[in-house]
Amino acid sequence: MSPHTDDGSLSPIEYHLLLAVAGEPMHGYAIGRAIGEESEGSLTPSAGSLYRVIARMMARGWMAETKPPADAAPHPGRERRYYELTPAGRQTLTEETDRRVRVADMARQRLRTS
Amino acid sequence: MHTLWRLLLHLLPPAFRERFGEEMLAHADAELQAAAGVGGWSGVRTAMRTTGELVVTAVQERWDPTWIDGAGTRPRGMGGRTMMGIWMRDLAQAARSLKRSPGFALAAIGTLAIALGSNAGIFAALDRVLLDPLPYPDTDRVVRILASAPGTDLPQSFGVSREFLIEYEENATHLEDVAAYNSFTATVRVGDRVERASLSAPTDRFFQVLRVEPVLGRLPGPGDRDQVAVISHSFWTTWFGQDPSVIGQSHFMMDGFKTIIGVMPPEFAFPNDRVNAWLPQPPLAEDAVIEPGRFGMSLVGRVAPDVTDDALSEQLTTIVRRLPEEYGGSARYAELIEQHVPVITPIQQVLLGDIRGAFLVLFGAVVVVLLIACANVANLFAVRAESRGRDLAIRRAIGAGRRRLIEAQMAEALVIAAVASLLALPLAIAVLRGFIAVAPGYVPRLAEAQLGLGTSLYLVAVGLASAVLCGLVPALRASRPAFARLRDGGRGTTGRAHWARGGLVVGQTALALVLLVGSGLLLRSFQALRAVDPGFDAEDVVTFQFAPEQAHLTDGEAWAGFHLAFMDRLRALPGVESVGIIENVPLDEGVQTGPVYERDEDAEVGPRAGLTFAGGDYFQTLGIDVLEGRPFNDDDGRIPGAVVISRSVAEAVWPGESPIGRPIRTSMVPEVHTVVGVVEDVLQYDLRDEADGHVYYPLVGPTPEAWRLSSPGYAVKTARAESIVPEIRALVREVAPEAPMYRTYTLEELVDRTMTSLAFTMRTLAIAAGLALLLGAIGLYGVLSYVVAERRQEIGVRMALGARAAQVRGMVVRQGGRVVGLGVVIGLVVAFAGTRFLGSLLFGVAAFDLPTFGAMAAAMVLVGLLASYLPARRASLVDPMESMREG
Repeated sequence: MSPHTDDGSLSPIEYHLLLAVAGEPMHGYAIGRAIGEESEGSLTPSAGSLYRVIARMMARGWMAETKPPADAAPHPGRERRYYELTPAGRQTLTEETDRRVRVADMARQRLRTS
Repeated sequence: MHTLWRLLLHLLPPAFRERFGEEMLAHADAELQAAAGVGGWSGVRTAMRTTGELVVTAVQERWDPTWIDGAGTRPRGMGGRTMMGIWMRDLAQAARSLKRSPGFALAAIGTLAIALGSNAGIFAALDRVLLDPLPYPDTDRVVRILASAPGTDLPQSFGVSREFLIEYEENATHLEDVAAYNSFTATVRVGDRVERASLSAPTDRFFQVLRVEPVLGRLPGPGDRDQVAVISHSFWTTWFGQDPSVIGQSHFMMDGFKTIIGVMPPEFAFPNDRVNAWLPQPPLAEDAVIEPGRFGMSLVGRVAPDVTDDALSEQLTTIVRRLPEEYGGSARYAELIEQHVPVITPIQQVLLGDIRGAFLVLFGAVVVVLLIACANVANLFAVRAESRGRDLAIRRAIGAGRRRLIEAQMAEALVIAAVASLLALPLAIAVLRGFIAVAPGYVPRLAEAQLGLGTSLYLVAVGLASAVLCGLVPALRASRPAFARLRDGGRGTTGRAHWARGGLVVGQTALALVLLVGSGLLLRSFQALRAVDPGFDAEDVVTFQFAPEQAHLTDGEAWAGFHLAFMDRLRALPGVESVGIIENVPLDEGVQTGPVYERDEDAEVGPRAGLTFAGGDYFQTLGIDVLEGRPFNDDDGRIPGAVVISRSVAEAVWPGESPIGRPIRTSMVPEVHTVVGVVEDVLQYDLRDEADGHVYYPLVGPTPEAWRLSSPGYAVKTARAESIVPEIRALVREVAPEAPMYRTYTLEELVDRTMTSLAFTMRTLAIAAGLALLLGAIGLYGVLSYVVAERRQEIGVRMALGARAAQVRGMVVRQGGRVVGLGVVIGLVVAFAGTRFLGSLLFGVAAFDLPTFGAMAAAMVLVGLLASYLPARRASLVDPMESMREG
């Protein structure tokens, strides 16, 4: 189960999911790989679990489906769905990143002094 | 994988599935492809992980939906209720629909209820005995420690001696606490009531090892010396009526008056549930002299957290290797210590013994019965779906979604399973009661088993699982578009439908055959064990013990005289053929063993044998053959000097020579005796063992004190074995009013007792196999009956065209035969792979015993043909005219 709270803070998987689509629009499979790489392997969502998190982020209005980018490689078979970060999502991601930076600064300072 | 995932997507709520389903599938396929490229197991791992997460996501999404019809916002909590609402509507509809076909509902519910009930009943017993057998904290860290010396002639494992315990206590850091324990019978006297009762005299750290607090009073402490007793809950109840003032009372136990200081909780039963009181032994005095090598102590220890068995074993081995330096001892002792390996057994295993295997086999059997029952009900559902095919096709045609049809069918299965589970509850209680009644008496904690939360949860889980098993296959099939049905008027079934149902019957047949083979093998083992010659004849023999404590019984001669005289009194009872006396009754008590030798220099290398004493007409009474020389007479009983040995001792000490007249010594009796007779070996411990060699000493001991603490067993041969006990009891009261008579059995009871575990497993597995066979036969009968009913017209045409009744019968029976034949082949393969799980229960029969496999396969085929014949007969009675007019 992916822990998430309703007070606006993000669970690690949610954070990395928003982070993945913060650059350019991505399709689900690419998002999964990006999360794996950017979390340095600590998160490896599979097809079975990723889409519920996507659904949740979309339901909160932080992510939305978008048109495939013009330069997207043509995909054999079904057309892939692409996702992007909404302005509200960008706001949330920025706040969460600031919070994490503050925590990291504090941690670094404490580790240095002790 | 793709197909499975596509199926599993149906578990997701529709809105979520419609939006994300295809995407998930494509993603999963890509993932699998990438993982398969890596090679090794990576593909398999990915596939399993994706499958698991998919199911979890489905459950989470149903429970707490994030996605409702594409709406960006999600009314919290509402989603769940909506889903529940739909489900409730389905369930109500299903209940109504089932009410309209009571025959179907009753058959399905009854079959499932029987299988679920027996499952839950056995599970309740299993739950108590196997999963939660001991009331001690951190049971998994409590172990029994014995010794072994591979490569020597000592038994596979044996009790340690005192110096082991001392050194383990001081130096084994891997043990938090360790204590020695035992159990024995001794006299207990409370007021006028005198009995031989089971007691235990553990060493001082015993209660700390097990960490159980008394319900009343306190545990022994350092200042208590050896004058206190902690009593069991059942002793407190039966002897004192749970009177709390028992604390502080003094009563005679074993060797003197003990003050009762504590009452243990009812579930505390160590080393067994017969122990009435624990008489803790105080720690040894600092200056106590330890004689090394007096083996026979069982230890129980609490292992420190996170210590592996191997680490513990290594530490104990190191400690033991130093013992000879510290304590001295003979050369043989040093040699034995060099070979010593500690034997560490989890306490659960010690207490459960082979009953664990028996329980697991039995549980496996009822699970198989449940599977067969599910197959039967699935078949009923399939038949029902077929006959409603037209109705379903219409609903599908007018736009009912496939999902709706599946859900409606699943709802019916769910209602059936729910009602069956409810009915299964009382049945489970009955099964559990019956099970407790027939189970061997020594299974720890079985009597406390009851239907608790665990069993209820198990019942719910298994009920749900069987609903899925029963409903899913027919539901998926029934929801497939079958518009063809609308054309042909709803008659006729596709070949595929027959195959699905035939497949279920094949599975049932295979499973039933596995159980049949299993119980057949146990039956053969039972027969083999029955046929074992224990070296004695158990028929018409009563055995009992009593231990007179009279002032004049001060030496061996007086003691022998007392017992010889008492045997004369016994012989005078009407119907008594002969009377004998033996220190340790075979199959009831163990015998001390030690080396036997002729010359002193062989004192340590002589072959080991049981060392015991016998008197009266013991050998004649038990029908033990005298092979050479003569048995004891009463003079031998009074004057020391003569011994009788058994065959394997004679062969080991004097190979190829006659032992008669030869001098003999043993570790227990260094005084020289003379062999006067050789008798056949007897099985002292277990019918499965090798025969044990014995040296029988005369009733009068080699020294005046020799047998002082021993309580001999009497053996009385009489045709009135069942009814003579009260007369013997009266006689005992007459000659020794102070000594209770105890351990009263017929020898046949003792023989039966060694087989209880096997007999119990055999009987219960036979019941399960019978049930499986019956359900399997019903399944086959049901399918063929349906096929016959469906083909009435065709059969009518055939007969009109000149087919004879025998031909029609043959046609139907052949169809049944094909299904059964395939099931038998599969069943034989599964049984071949599965019977080795019977493992130690088997005796004298191979896990792959050709005659058993053959006979059971034949029985299965026979029952299968019988089940086919009845529908076949009905088919041959079809009236061509009538059947065609029906069309």
